[in-house]
Amino acid sequence: MNIKTFVLILLFTPLVSFAKANIDKPAPDFALTNTMGEEVSLSNFSGKYVVLEWTNHLCPYVQKHYGSNNMQSLQTKYKEQDVVWLSIISSAPGKQGYVSAEQANQLTKDRNAYPTHVLFDTDGSVGKLYSAKTTPHMYVVDPDGKLRYAGAIDSIKSANPADIAKADNYLDVAMQALLSGKDVVTKTTPPYGCSVKYKS
Amino acid sequence: MHKNTFTLLILIFCLVSGFGARAVAKEVLSATGPHIYVELLTEKSHFVPGENLVGIYLQPDKEWHTYWRNPGDSGEAPSLTWSVPDDIQVGEINWPTPQQIPVAHLVNYGYEGAVLLTVPISIPAHYVNQSSPLQLSVDLSWLVCKEDCIPGWATLSVSRQVQQNAELSPQASLFAQTKKRHPDAKTIAAKHEITEAHIVVSTDHPADEEWTLLPFENGVVAHNEKQSLVETDGRFTFLLPKSEYLTSTPQSLTFLLTNGITSYQLDSRLNTVLEQNAQPLLLLMLMAFLGGLILNLMPCVLPILAIKAMSIQQVQFSLTDKLAYLAGVLFCFNVFALVVVLLRSGGEAVGWGFHMQEPAVVAFLAFLFLYIALFLMNIAPQGNRLTGVGQGTLQGQTKSVQFMTGVLAVVVASPCTAPFMAAAMGIAMVSPAPTVFLLFSSLALGFAIPMTLLFFIPKLSVFLPKPGKWMESIRQFLAFPMLATVIWLVWLFLQQTNASAQLLLLSSLLFFAMALWIADISTGSKAGIAYILACGALVVPILLPHETPSEKTQTAAKFDQQKLLELQNDNQVVFVNMTADWCITCKVNEQVALSNERVKETLSSSLVHYMEGDWTNKNQEILAYLNQYARAGVPLYVVYAGNQSHQILPQILTPDIVINAIERAKQEMKNEH
Repeated sequence: MNIKTFVLILLFTPLVSFAKANIDKPAPDFALTNTMGEEVSLSNFSGKYVVLEWTNHLCPYVQKHYGSNNMQSLQTKYKEQDVVWLSIISSAPGKQGYVSAEQANQLTKDRNAYPTHVLFDTDGSVGKLYSAKTTPHMYVVDPDGKLRYAGAIDSIKSANPADIAKADNYLDVAMQALLSGKDVVTKTTPPYGCSVKYKS
Repeated sequence: MHKNTFTLLILIFCLVSGFGARAVAKEVLSATGPHIYVELLTEKSHFVPGENLVGIYLQPDKEWHTYWRNPGDSGEAPSLTWSVPDDIQVGEINWPTPQQIPVAHLVNYGYEGAVLLTVPISIPAHYVNQSSPLQLSVDLSWLVCKEDCIPGWATLSVSRQVQQNAELSPQASLFAQTKKRHPDAKTIAAKHEITEAHIVVSTDHPADEEWTLLPFENGVVAHNEKQSLVETDGRFTFLLPKSEYLTSTPQSLTFLLTNGITSYQLDSRLNTVLEQNAQPLLLLMLMAFLGGLILNLMPCVLPILAIKAMSIQQVQFSLTDKLAYLAGVLFCFNVFALVVVLLRSGGEAVGWGFHMQEPAVVAFLAFLFLYIALFLMNIAPQGNRLTGVGQGTLQGQTKSVQFMTGVLAVVVASPCTAPFMAAAMGIAMVSPAPTVFLLFSSLALGFAIPMTLLFFIPKLSVFLPKPGKWMESIRQFLAFPMLATVIWLVWLFLQQTNASAQLLLLSSLLFFAMALWIADISTGSKAGIAYILACGALVVPILLPHETPSEKTQTAAKFDQQKLLELQNDNQVVFVNMTADWCITCKVNEQVALSNERVKETLSSSLVHYMEGDWTNKNQEILAYLNQYARAGVPLYVVYAGNQSHQILPQILTPDIVINAIERAKQEMKNEH
């Protein structure tokens, strides 16, 4: 079954709930608090490309991409092209990766990260809405609010930074395709990494 | 001093080279990482030529776990990269049966507590008794998790002499224990289909609710959703919620079938129509030939051939006379084959006896068999050519008469099916044109052989009884199987039409018989008028337009696009079910949903029309319908509320899905009025 058939079947499947995030369908809207205490909605950014990045700074797979500067360079590359980058933390209080607003800002500074906002999803509702499974887990929403990519950051499932150079960066490929007006070829991939530390 | 320096240099050289040599041979058997201890083990104290087992032992702290080959929703399987001489073969990891480890609402597959991953290593004989030991080393990476995860890396190595014989190592018992946790050596075969939300896997290996299927690959099955199991006719079918990441249709899938204690590897192939037709052509031809041979004994054919056989004792034949019957049979069967090929290219699905679906043909055959019966009983006129049959045809001896006998034999055989024939003909119907002709010709040869032998070897007729007065009795007796066939045909005619049409047919048959009897006992113009009356009786039920049965039954009506449009325009609720005999998912739905009492009740309601399209043999009309809904195959379920709307049901049904969809459609129609 090719992507087109898959999408067609999705269109014709009444059982698929409309609320959930589905590829090439409107991405569900959400409102979360950022590290400055402001409320940020996905709909604030309609007309722009938005990258969603599920993160947990203590997860070795997140560390792989921040320690190697891979994530920061993606953030810089696309924010320069007017893309909005939202880092979302779904770790529940007491779980790995849960941080206060100050700690989050400090982390951004220490890591030279460049997200538009870092958002807190402590009850995990947005993570579940998007079926975020791992950190990192990446999503791309287009200017019309449609979900265009969901999945792994790249093709090699490991915690070893040495694999980054050998891997195909799915997020980068998807963004390049979209910004040059093409359709994304690989629209969904199984994510890899630590499980999101949801409230049990 | 000079001497001392030299001695020192020698000493340093020795130390360095000694150290270097030791470094090459140095073993690193174990390592530790946060929350885990890892060790490289061997089953035997030394390596042996041939197969050896080595193992990677992973021992995490209490409550921590490592992962199976498919880690599930998160996590990572241990990976091994071996450094060994080129001529040494390293096999695949033997993965023990994993546990399912839930993490919040996600599921992982792995091992809580210690696990040994054994790897077969094949060593060539020339390593035996070499001066230096054989060194194997492995780059190992792992992920150990409780809720948080910590990756680790280590390079482990082992050096052992290769000897002809070796004793078990102290860790051998660990290898033996681990073996018990491996999947059974038996591999189970299965077939799968992919629907929009499920992977449907069917096997004949018994299973119950305790058993689950764990996919070897990630991104196939949604690990955190419930699997269900359906038993249909001794087959066990798992409905696995499909992973959102599966966008292709894999030709083969591998699973671990496990109940937590026992496990098997299950190899599944994509279920396709082509697999059904895998029998070799030669076998099919043989089956068709045998079928043809047996067809001679069928009650619709035997009387005709018996009369013919008794008549040929009397005359000598030329070679062409002898072959004319065979030619007639071959000709007639190949005309059948041609019709099949032509109809099929026009998009019709045809099967053996396809002509029997046409009431006009059934009625014609009823007249033909009645005529033969009357002829056998000496009631019908002898020696004329009504409907191409007669005294001349059955008892005459010229080439053209033999040829016509062959044609007649095939026509009267056509409502019959003999053993072996059904399978061969079924496949012929869906095969390419040359195969169709080949199989029909094989059938024709088998059918014609007994009579042709009689023509060629007159000695055989010694075994036939001598002609005499008894022949007349036999001949009259043989009319009864013919009349029995007429009864069957009239019954069949009712299935296709209705009671009044059947009454008309029966009356016409009576009139036809009477007209023939009058013709037989009359002469001159009276006989001529009787013939015309007989023909008139024959024409009426054949040419009259036939309506299909009007009463609504609980069983589904045959799918018809035209009928569907009419029902839609008539604001009716219609449930369309597109199915095929070979479709596993369709069978599961029939078992689980469509044969449910409540669903049956809903479908048999007078407000609901149920249509079933059979895609077992591909058919253009159904394909066009499937394409309309962007489908390339079955199952497809659609509920129409007149022209207002339609609902496409999921490919996996539950009774409630069907009932709710139909109720919604009914409601919509009600609101409309």
